Amino acid sequence: MSALVIGVPSKGRLQENAHAFFKRAGISLVQPRGGREYRGTIPEIEGAEVAYLSAAEIAGNLAQGAIHFGVTGEDLVRETMPDADKRVLLVDGLGFGFANVVVAVPQAWIDVRTMQDLDDVATAFHAKRGRRMRVATKYVNLTRAFFAKHGIADYRIVESAGATEGAPATGAAELIVDITTTGSTLAANALKVVEDGVILRSQANLVASLGANWGERERAAARALLDRIAAERVARTTREVRSRFKAADAELVAEAKGRFGALAPLGGPTSSGMLTLLCPPETVHELAIFLRQRGAETVMVAAPEYIFARENPLYETLISKIG
Amino acid sequence: MNFKETDARARNGRAEALVDLYERAAYVRVQPPILQPADAFLELSGEELRRRLFLTTDANGRELCLRPDLTIPTCRLHLENNAPVPASYCYFGRVFRDRGGGAGEYLQAGIESLGREDQEAADAECLTLALDSARHFGVEKSVIRMGDVGLFSAFVAALDLSPAWRRRLLKDFNRTGTLAADLSSLKLAASAPSPHAGMLAALEGSDPAAARAFVADLLSIAGISNVGGRTVGEIAERFLEQASLGSAGGLGTGNCTALERYLSIEGDPDAALAELRALAKDSKLDLSAALERLEQRIGFMAAGGVDLSTVRFSTAFGRALDYYTGMVFELYDPRDYVKWPLVAGGRYDKLMTLLGSKTAIPAVGFAAWINELEQAGAA
Repeated sequence: MSALVIGVPSKGRLQENAHAFFKRAGISLVQPRGGREYRGTIPEIEGAEVAYLSAAEIAGNLAQGAIHFGVTGEDLVRETMPDADKRVLLVDGLGFGFANVVVAVPQAWIDVRTMQDLDDVATAFHAKRGRRMRVATKYVNLTRAFFAKHGIADYRIVESAGATEGAPATGAAELIVDITTTGSTLAANALKVVEDGVILRSQANLVASLGANWGERERAAARALLDRIAAERVARTTREVRSRFKAADAELVAEAKGRFGALAPLGGPTSSGMLTLLCPPETVHELAIFLRQRGAETVMVAAPEYIFARENPLYETLISKIG
Repeated sequence: MNFKETDARARNGRAEALVDLYERAAYVRVQPPILQPADAFLELSGEELRRRLFLTTDANGRELCLRPDLTIPTCRLHLENNAPVPASYCYFGRVFRDRGGGAGEYLQAGIESLGREDQEAADAECLTLALDSARHFGVEKSVIRMGDVGLFSAFVAALDLSPAWRRRLLKDFNRTGTLAADLSSLKLAASAPSPHAGMLAALEGSDPAAARAFVADLLSIAGISNVGGRTVGEIAERFLEQASLGSAGGLGTGNCTALERYLSIEGDPDAALAELRALAKDSKLDLSAALERLEQRIGFMAAGGVDLSTVRFSTAFGRALDYYTGMVFELYDPRDYVKWPLVAGGRYDKLMTLLGSKTAIPAVGFAAWINELEQAGAA
């Protein structure tokens, strides 16, 4: 029986992206009997296993502390747990599953641009009809908190499991709160996003449950997991720049640091002028020009696979939260 | 029998004796069902209540809740029975609210007086009986906090304001009861210029009916039919209203000064009344009808034996439920040992209509929190 359990989406694009993310970090998730098994193993990390769950279940399991880590959208985390920051830690945004949770109204409402307009319309609607304006959504908690923040009181939520964007057209609701990526589904349904009506800019996250059982074995496995993830994350945003020329000295390294954000973690140039720098991808070309201007014949640039550092900020943050 | 049961019997005995008191005052005891359709509560109290309701669903998918109060169930019972008015009811029983921890169920007793046309006298009688309820538990000289929602409506109606600003002020007053704190932000909240500003300016001052027809035509030319439950006329009307809202530059200094002065009035009822009259005179606002009613109510209260020096009348004191229309009050522990209100009540003339009554039925009542009263009485 493994100690550390990681919740991973059980199907679809989200699962593919999650697998790709772990693979980049040198972590393979193995489903023993193809896609039919709901438990998976992680050969690289001792004492860790995978639970395949739906994205919504992952948020729920994180809330209860039934799993230690999970890959799920921030939208579901915040909807499931109104006090999310006390119960989970968003370890890292994973760069996929982007979606905004927005307030959308019919395009025909030319008098509604802002949440303040919506507030006024909701109050007038209630006063005139004796019933409240209805908001179709599956994000009940996010909607309630956001509307309260904007002082909107005259509305009712109609829970909607799917095809929320169709609710105004069918008369099931007057407006909606839903996720959108490109806005094309909203436009196709003659809806528009209220200007200051973006509730949350969400993406898939690696999320840690603060309420899970964090014993010695779980911590060890978490450290190994986050070590790989941190090493890959740093490597992804770093280029290795190598050269060798006489004029390479400590002064040149200091200038490269100031102008291009370059670091020399392996030490300064050797006596023969061997130099290894790390820098962000954005400044690679300027740095290469600079080095050649100072006398380099050849500058080699490579993308490192991993950069392991003594310190692991992801793990340190987790430990500081769970105590 | 364990100690808890003994406690429960003693408690119920004392509360039962309170209901006897109500019955002797000619209030008929009712026992509405615990399970209620959730719709009535959600529609009347809004989404903020939802997380405090214990909700369930029946086999047909109808949403039900455990009653969070007894006012709405009592009023529904009255309508279901097609009972004549005036009618006076009293009750004692459990109510269910999720207060985020705690038992989730609380004992309440109270009265509802439906259909009395002598409203000021009925208000005073309601308050007197509320004070008697506190005394029944040994709480003498409760601190009475009191406000008047109807007075604020009359005040806002008397100000020179656009319909949008009136709606907004009434809503914020009902919602928070602390409008004074929001006022400074309201002043600054003149909205950013609309992208339609040029067109709105061109339309401002033109014949309203023609302007509305023009905007309605534009919408239909655009082939827009899905307007999400609002008519094209309504949208056009409010679109044009923005013209007036924009050019007025928020509330206006005169209105703002009057509003701030109004909301700062607090004290014993007679002093507050005098200040309100002075405000009406200085700001040239006609509040005579509303102030007349307030004066009558104060008179009935004094005649009913209420010690006016224990009443803290505050113009900013409201209730977060918009079916309240007149007097609102809460009784507090004079020793301040119990922080929550012991009894809360008020006039809710809109409720019966909202529940489906064909005729308007004026109504006033209160609910007494048994646990709080016991604690305050024992302290």
